[in-house]
Amino acid sequence: MTVTPTTAQVGDSLPPLTFGPISRSTLALYAGASGDHNPIHIDLDFARAAGMDDVFAHGMLSMAQLGRLATDWAGQDRLRSLSTRFTAITPVGAVLTCTGQVTHRHEEHGRVLLTVKLAAHLEDGTQTLRGEAKICGTAAP
Amino acid sequence: MGIFDRSTKGQITPSIRITLEPGPLAFFTETIGETNPLYRDRDAARAAGHPDVLAPPTYAVVVGTFADQKAKRAGAPDLLDRINGDLRVLLHGTEEYAYHGLMYATDTLEVENEVMHFTDAKGGKLEIAHIATRISHPKRGLLVEASRRLIHRLG
Repeated sequence: MTVTPTTAQVGDSLPPLTFGPISRSTLALYAGASGDHNPIHIDLDFARAAGMDDVFAHGMLSMAQLGRLATDWAGQDRLRSLSTRFTAITPVGAVLTCTGQVTHRHEEHGRVLLTVKLAAHLEDGTQTLRGEAKICGTAAP
Repeated sequence: MGIFDRSTKGQITPSIRITLEPGPLAFFTETIGETNPLYRDRDAARAAGHPDVLAPPTYAVVVGTFADQKAKRAGAPDLLDRINGDLRVLLHGTEEYAYHGLMYATDTLEVENEVMHFTDAKGGKLEIAHIATRISHPKRGLLVEASRRLIHRLG
């Protein structure tokens, strides 16, 4: 049986999501689409002058995937909060695997609030984002 | 010594009005790979009881950026100018959203950025700017509270 926000229990996992490979084109498009024109993500000359070997992906492009993971599962009207810490750089060519697991189920005044631990990992196992979503688990949100 | 201009602590940008233009919003949802019709198809969104397509959860940062760009075009310093952010050593540390309501295409929203405070970490190797953004709708009230930590790698 598929786990939903109203039936989820602690320990249940959300359907995982993969994104990528993240190409240089993706980064150029994300820069334009998000308005984040920081050259460290799109200009190799700038990145090298700043001491990096290459450009790297916008953290917010990965966080957008954690957002998709949460809204695919719960719907955005159940999403109460979304937060993340960026724990490692996401290189060009990365394929992200995004996962979520219910860590708390809290009931108060007849309303249910789920805490979902979120993460994004590279193919080599490096964790790039560590986050959390609070999701309403009440039957009629 | 840090790079951030710590005298900007407590500064709040004047409220800026941003309309969620459908074209740029569609560009964003396509770029992040969103395929759910609630974000892509106005008819599907309306059939589900929404006034228009939804803005994805992380579009809040884009709305904040658009407000910042609008301020700059009007001759005001943008947030990074204000706090003296240096893109060569700047990292995005954390990003957090609290949601009170949904944002939709064609909404005209009020956006406010605040420089909360500055901290240091790792024995002075990192300095951190704590920034907050509030996005409100004139009728539906506060929709999103965002906060982020911007980090300078020092030395």
